[in-house]
Parts: sequence; C-alpha cells; structure tokens
Amino acid sequence: MAAETTTTEVRVRSRARHEPWLDRMVLPTLVVMAVVVGYPIVYTIALSVQNYNLLDFRPAAYVGAANYTKLAGDPIFWGSLTNTAVYTFGSVGVSALLGLALALLMENLGGARFRAIRALLLTPWAVPFVVVAFLFRYMYLQNGGVINAVLLSTGIIDAPIPWLNSSTLALPAVMVANIWAMAPFFFLLLSAALSAIPNEVIESARVDRAGTWGMIWHIKLPFLRNPLLISSLLMVISNFNDFAKIWAMTQGGPGYSTSTLVVYVYRLAFERFEFGYASAVGVIWLIMLMVLAWIYMRVLRMESR
Amino acid sequence: MIRFDRRGLRLATISIAALVAGMAGAASAQDKITLTFANWAAAEGTTRPGIEKVIADFEAANPEIDVVSEAISFSEIARQLVLRARSGNPPDVAQIAGNDTTLLAFTGALEPLDGYVKENLAANLKQGADAGLRDDGGLFAFPWNQSPAGFWYNKEIMQKAGLDPNKPPRTIDELTAALAAIKSSQPDVIPLAIDTTNRAFALSSNWPWMKSFGAVPVGEGATGAESAEMKAYLSWMRKIAQAGYIDPGRRIGEFRPLAAQGHVAFIWDQVLLKGVMQGASKMSDDDFYKTWGVTTLPAGAGKPTTFEGGHQLVMFASGKQKEAAWKFIEYLATSPDAIANYTMSVNSSLPSIKATGKADLDAALGTPVFKAFSDEIIPTLAPQPYGPDFAAAATAIMAGVQEAVTGSQPIDDIAASIQLGLPQ
Repeated sequence: MAAETTTTEVRVRSRARHEPWLDRMVLPTLVVMAVVVGYPIVYTIALSVQNYNLLDFRPAAYVGAANYTKLAGDPIFWGSLTNTAVYTFGSVGVSALLGLALALLMENLGGARFRAIRALLLTPWAVPFVVVAFLFRYMYLQNGGVINAVLLSTGIIDAPIPWLNSSTLALPAVMVANIWAMAPFFFLLLSAALSAIPNEVIESARVDRAGTWGMIWHIKLPFLRNPLLISSLLMVISNFNDFAKIWAMTQGGPGYSTSTLVVYVYRLAFERFEFGYASAVGVIWLIMLMVLAWIYMRVLRMESR
Repeated sequence: MIRFDRRGLRLATISIAALVAGMAGAASAQDKITLTFANWAAAEGTTRPGIEKVIADFEAANPEIDVVSEAISFSEIARQLVLRARSGNPPDVAQIAGNDTTLLAFTGALEPLDGYVKENLAANLKQGADAGLRDDGGLFAFPWNQSPAGFWYNKEIMQKAGLDPNKPPRTIDELTAALAAIKSSQPDVIPLAIDTTNRAFALSSNWPWMKSFGAVPVGEGATGAESAEMKAYLSWMRKIAQAGYIDPGRRIGEFRPLAAQGHVAFIWDQVLLKGVMQGASKMSDDDFYKTWGVTTLPAGAGKPTTFEGGHQLVMFASGKQKEAAWKFIEYLATSPDAIANYTMSVNSSLPSIKATGKADLDAALGTPVFKAFSDEIIPTLAPQPYGPDFAAAATAIMAGVQEAVTGSQPIDDIAASIQLGLPQ
C-alpha cells in the first residue's frame, strides 16, 4: 500500500517537472490582470512615496517614507483603523450568529406560509446598500425618526436618543443597519449547508437519542464550520471596503467616531486632493486586505483537502 | 444609358436636395461655436427649467453659439473640474461656489477675466461682489449672483413663545433666552436650525457663528482653535445642543422643508430659503412676509458677519472659444432675461449688478427679504480663509464641533484636538 502511494507521488512529481512554468494560453489573462490590477497597485505604491497634490500642477516630489512616517503619528488614521476593525468584525460576527440562529430555526419549517417568511427574511439582502443607509438614517432621526417615536410612545425612553449624533452610539447604530442587511446572506448560505447534511447522519444521531442542543453542537455545527468560515471571510473583506452605508449615514462623524479607512482615504483624496498621502493609507489598507485574502485562500485549500 | 421613370426621377431629385441641404447644414454646423457649460443648476429639479430656458434664450440671441450643458451635482462639481483640468479636458465655462472657486483658481487652470470686463460693467458691479475672487493674476471668477446667509425668524413661533415677533434676537444672550422660551412653549419646534455636518460648506456656514464669538481658528489673523473665544463658541454649541435647541447632524437643506411646515423657529440660511419654502408650502408673498423675517446674525463678543453663498462663473484658460465663453458668462450674470428667469426666480438669489436696466426687476429687489439682504446683511459680508487648506481645516473644525455638540469630552480637549488637526 505504502509502495503504491510512493509510486503515484513520484509520477505526479515527474509530470509536474515536465509542465512548463508558464503556459502560453495564460498570457492574455496575465496581460489583462497586469493592466487592470497590477498597474493601479504599482501606481498607488509609487504615489505613496510622493508629495502629490492634485491642485498643484507642478511635478510631484519624491518624499521617500515621509508619508508613512506621517501615517504612524496620525491619530485619525489609527482611529479609523480601530473603527474599521470594530465595524467589520462586529458586523460580521453578529450577522453570522443571527444568520445561523435563523437558519436553525427555519430548518424544519415547511409549507407555503414558512416559504413566504423565508423569502421575507431574505429581502434585506436584496435592498441596495445606499437605500439601506438612507432608510436607517431617517429611522434614526432624533426628531421625527420612527425608532425614537416608538420608544417614546411606549414609554421606554423619556427623551429622543441621538442615535447617529452621539459619538458613542453612532458606530453601533451604523453596525445595526449593516447587520440587518447582511444577516440574510448568512441565513441563505447556512440554510443551504444545513440541507446538505446527509440524512443518515441525522438519523443515526436520533437513534443515539441526541437532544436538540447535542444535535446542533455535535452534528450540525461541525458540518457548518467550513461554509461559515468561508462566508465570514468573504464578508470581512467586503465590509472592510464598505463605504456607501457609512458615508450616507454619518459621513464618518460625529467627529471621527464612524470614520473608517475607506472614508478617511476618500476625504484625503477627493476633498483635500492629497493623493500621495491617501495612497500611503491605501497601501496599508491593501496589505491588510491581502492578508485577509491569503487567509481566505488557505481556508479554501484546507477545505478542498 | 440609364433611364429614369417618373418615380425614379422624383426619388433622385429628393435625394439630391437632401444631400445639398445636409451639406449646407454641415457647413453651418461647422461655423457654429460649441461651448460646454458644467453646472449643477441643470442637475437640480428646481433650477433645471430656469437654466434650460436661459440657455435656449442665449442660443436664440446668439445663433452662432451652441451651449452644451453638462449637469453635475453640487457636491461633485469641484472634484470633476479639478480632475478634468488636470487631464486637459475642462469645459469652457463652469458654475462654481465657495471654497471650490478658490481651489480651482489655485490650480492655475482658470482664465483671468479682467481683460473681458468692460468699464461700464465694472462700474455696475455691486460693491464687494468680486471680493475674494481676485488673486495675483487678477479676477479669476465672475460673480454670477449673490446669496449670503441671513438669520431667518418665524414671527408666529416667536409670538406663541411670548416674544416680540418684530424684535429678533440681536445678541447671543438674547438668542439663548429666546431658544429657551421657544423650547418650553413649543417642544415640537426645532428652535434653531444650523448645519453641523462635517463638510467644507458647514465650516463656511459656521464661520460667522465663530466670528460672532470673536473666534478665528485659521486664516488671516488666526488665534487658533485653543483660544478662549473658540472655546466659548464650542461651549455655547454644547449648551444649546444639550438643551435640545438644535438638531445636530442635519444638512441645512434638510431643515428647509421643516421650516416651510412651521417646525423651525430660527434658521441660519441663504437668501434662496424664501424660494425653497414658498415652493414647498405654496405660501403667497404676503403670507410669507407676515410669517418670516430675516436679519443679521446675533452677535456675541465679536461683530455679526455673514458668508457669501452665491455662485460664480469661471472660464478655463485652455478653452478655444474665449470670446464666446465670455459672452455667455456676461449674459448669465447681467442680462435682464437671465436675472428674471433664473437668478431672482428659480435660484432665489440677488444679481451681482446694481441696476438690471429693467424697472420691474429693480422694483422686485425692493421687496422686504431682498431689501433686508441688500441693506443690512450684505454689508456684513466677511471673507473666509478659502484655499487649498480649507477642506482640511473644515474636517478638523467640524469634527470638533460635532464632538462638542454630541459628545462629553471636555471642551479643552476638543479644542486641542482641533488644533492638532489644523493644517500647519
């Protein structure tokens, strides 16, 4: 048996040795990638070491690592980085848990009535992000917002809460909107994964008299682990770049309390026209995204094994 | 030999006639000058019909010129113009306002206009209309219209609060007392509407309030963000926010419909507010003047000032049709038809010239709101520290204002963090 395995490995290695390291058929793809992805990345890195202001028509000056040194001592950058982490991981974590809970609750509910509920639960995912942002922005209004109106009329609060106008409440309030929009994605994905669990496994667990919690913990969750991990990573990358919701709801305020990296880069590049410094922030941001993408690829590879 | 029957002959004649007409049309199109005009007037529902009519009238009066209107939103236009100037593809003429005008001038892409402004036009310009529109190279933008901000007061709400509707607050202390009276008598009313968003326009709008306290955080004669005056301004903003006298986070435009419905007592807004409110409420002029009055900003330790929210017209130096571009600029800013159909009607602003040459238009400038702006408010116009650093200053200062209004951080710390964020 061991000898057979060794022979197969040797064959695979020898085939790999004869394969050209670059297939000509891949060249067109590589050219397109170089133009579409490679050039902007290289240009951004080049800009990040220059003092390049779009308002100044003189040639940009090379400043070495000055933009990066400035970045290290920039409290708004660090604040934005912290907000990005809280917004991203907080939103994804809660959405995943919510999606999981909904998927488990809806798992065995069939019939037309529950199909309609299932469709209703998926609706937020279909709403465009900007619409979600404006919807919640108006719901959160201190004067005239429906959330304050309901809380006031039910006597839960005495005075309207400044949801988006408080530096402590604004970020959680934006995250709630984000979670509302994102949880259906996890619900959809995890529902599909639950239905893919083999019936034999479930039935044998029932024969062994597994309780509800035991079934979820020992049988279902292990099956859901990989889909949950991959979808979470995808959503982390997507939320890291989320601009529309935050910009439409708070523009990064009040103060800098909801400013994320993408909002900060936008302000630097398109309000202050400081392309050099904005590019330096962009490079750091790119590195972090690449790390996340690398983790994602590793997980995918692990799953395929 | 080719033979034509009667039908064929008719077809051939029509074809030749069409060809000749087409060639003549093409020749005439080649003679025509095409001007590109980047503006947000055509991008907004309320002003679009007015600007389209003005452009059509101009084209009718100048058949050799075609104007291609490029609608770009107000918040996008500066970005687009800078990028287009940078890539060598700017329009011939553009509408622009506030700090964006100075930003564009800073790029050096604008055509100096002094050489185009004839003596009689220069003499007809209102005093100070071109203030802030000059640099070392001369006049870089032409004032299309004037739209300064005024302190609007709702007389009915004041009366219900036991205040004299004909005596708007003149000082910050009087204002604070009036806000308290309004809040306690009419809890559903927003006592004071001011823009506390974080954007360059919000700093322009809040700048006179800071000056009212004697604070000058940046620019000429700056005393920094940690001055006693700036702290007094921030403390007052926190006080009125905590008392519920302002509704933080709203853009000024979001207060206008509420003001039109009678839910706002005082609003710091431009002259165009009258048109917007009347458009929303369908209120007649008489009813409007009975309900609303406008005056100068209440003063604290400093003097009352205001900011110019009017629009300017710029011509790009790389344009090929400069004479035609100037003709269009002059038409927009000074022609009685353009003033009647756009400036004073849909745009609800004041012309930048003293006399329009039409008695009915000049008479319309004597109505209460326009008169209050011309006689009382425009004389308090004060320059703002516009320039390439203004946007960075706006981000730092307005973030601090938002923190003061919505947070609990000590005012001293907020002032220090604003100072840290100001361009050095």
